[in-house]
Amino acid sequence: MLVDKERTEAYVPEHRYPLPLRSAMPEVWALWQRAKTLEWDPQTDIPWEELRPERYSAEQRLAAQMYWSRRTWGEYGAISESPALLLRFSLERRLPDLQFFFTMRTMEEGRHAEASWLMAERLGRYFPQPQNPPTAGAVGTHGVRRMAFDPETSLEGIFASLVCAAEEILIDVFKATVHKATNPAVRRLMELILRDEVRHIAFGWQCLDAWAPSFTPETVRNIEVAVTTMIEQVEFRGYRNLWLAIEGGSATPAEIEADRISCEAGLGGSTPEDEMAIFPEFLTKIRKRMAPYGVNLPLFDHPRLGKV
Amino acid sequence: MSETADHAARLLRAYQAQEKRFVERRFPLEFAPEVPALRELYSQAKGFHWNPETDIAWDRFDAARYAQATREAARRTWSRRAWGVYPGLTESTALLIRFCLESGSLGMDAKLFLSFRPAEEAKHLEVCHMLAERLGGYEPDPGEPGLARVSNHPFAQAALDCDVPVEAYIAALGALDDQLDLNLYLSHLHQAKDEVVRAALRLIAGDRARHVAFAWAFLGSRVPALDARGRAAVIDTVRDLLANVILAGYRNTWLLPEKSREPWLAAEEETARQGLGASTPAQERSVLRATIAQVRERFATWKLDLPRVDHAELGVV
Repeated sequence: MLVDKERTEAYVPEHRYPLPLRSAMPEVWALWQRAKTLEWDPQTDIPWEELRPERYSAEQRLAAQMYWSRRTWGEYGAISESPALLLRFSLERRLPDLQFFFTMRTMEEGRHAEASWLMAERLGRYFPQPQNPPTAGAVGTHGVRRMAFDPETSLEGIFASLVCAAEEILIDVFKATVHKATNPAVRRLMELILRDEVRHIAFGWQCLDAWAPSFTPETVRNIEVAVTTMIEQVEFRGYRNLWLAIEGGSATPAEIEADRISCEAGLGGSTPEDEMAIFPEFLTKIRKRMAPYGVNLPLFDHPRLGKV
Repeated sequence: MSETADHAARLLRAYQAQEKRFVERRFPLEFAPEVPALRELYSQAKGFHWNPETDIAWDRFDAARYAQATREAARRTWSRRAWGVYPGLTESTALLIRFCLESGSLGMDAKLFLSFRPAEEAKHLEVCHMLAERLGGYEPDPGEPGLARVSNHPFAQAALDCDVPVEAYIAALGALDDQLDLNLYLSHLHQAKDEVVRAALRLIAGDRARHVAFAWAFLGSRVPALDARGRAAVIDTVRDLLANVILAGYRNTWLLPEKSREPWLAAEEETARQGLGASTPAQERSVLRATIAQVRERFATWKLDLPRVDHAELGVV
């Protein structure tokens, strides 16, 4: 069954040797080493006894349950989709540093998914799906698996859009709102996720910086298209925050309001005012960060953010 | 496009085609435990994490106290072991993706467990590399086509092949191959005399034991519900792996074709003799026979009959 398919080349033969294992990207290797010293367990490293959901109103609890449920779906994407990048690194025989680090990233994203699920559960209820199924298209996938397996999609574009930009906005919002999480359990969880995500982004930028000298005009164009697509088709469809969804999609008012209510209760999330401030700054930052690569990102029109 | 890039593109297209054969239904996305034993193994993985850099007393490893020939042998042994560990990074990653593609509502215990496994494999790989380096240098290439072929199988592609039931894949790669691998590590640990090597082997074996427990617990949760076709696929796949991969020398150098065995076999014998983390062919032969008997017995509890396999050197196993 397995070997017959191998012999008949129904499975494409893999060339594995030589198999270098020595680090060739010291900064990425340092991230792998650092990640191993910062492992944590959602079950034991969050002060769950301080969550005390009974202190909050039913409306606040419901909003926070929705917020943390949606976070769970987003984190799940990083264990169901992003690991395809590790396969790509291996198939393209990329440097060992990338492969070592990415195994840790998958582990950490699994932990974030579990932690977000636990938070929703312990706030009273985890929602296993959006209230209106079509929203699943917006919040369920950013499509990285398909891109990772597509040889026509440049790895640099995937990194710029999903490993750097998509993660960057995520932590920008976390950084800007963690102080509002007055609940100790929520705040600790946000801090722990943030600590991991900072490494994930550093990894993305370090790779892009290392590859930049070999970028061709086509690579630069690929990055521009990929980042633009991520902004328009992922962020502006409400993947991370439904309030940003340009067309509103099929999300219910309760789902759209959940982030604000949860945030105002100190249970995690962001308000529209936060997004209004953070999103333009995020765009300014990545434009500046990518400019040395020759990347020129367009202005984006958003009905609530304006031209950003 | 260079030949390497062209081949990588061909491989990616193969994975892409496999992925497209699945219709992912992500929602409802369930997280509650379904198989408590699997969730417990995931919890253990979180609790028993370790770091090759800091949890092994490398400063107490004195390679200079071994003869040059011994160091040369041991660096070869640990290099070959690294080649055997490396596929685990991609195979367990592909298996994780497979579970996610199959269902959002089922299998979260396995998904969470598998989200940890590639990092554990990477730690084992790092240990093998660190030992090989300290013994004189990691060898990145078998240098002999026969050995390269035997130690290189596209099992990550098989993990994403919807024609191979996930139970069959885990029975072959987990219950048989991982079990043999674990039993070999335990044998090497039993023979090892160097305290640093013993610590390394003990840490790796601890993770491996969990990986094997995962395979058996998963099969225990799924095999009883399999229909005749699914049961046949399990047996066929395990038999295939045993006859054509394991007995061809995937894990055991002494089973390699004669012309591919050296210098690796002599290196393992010297490594075993000096207690640097290997077993002799005779010891490995016992481990292999015991493992096959163990797997056969456990399958029999599910009324799965693993056929005997005839091998030129070992006879009927």
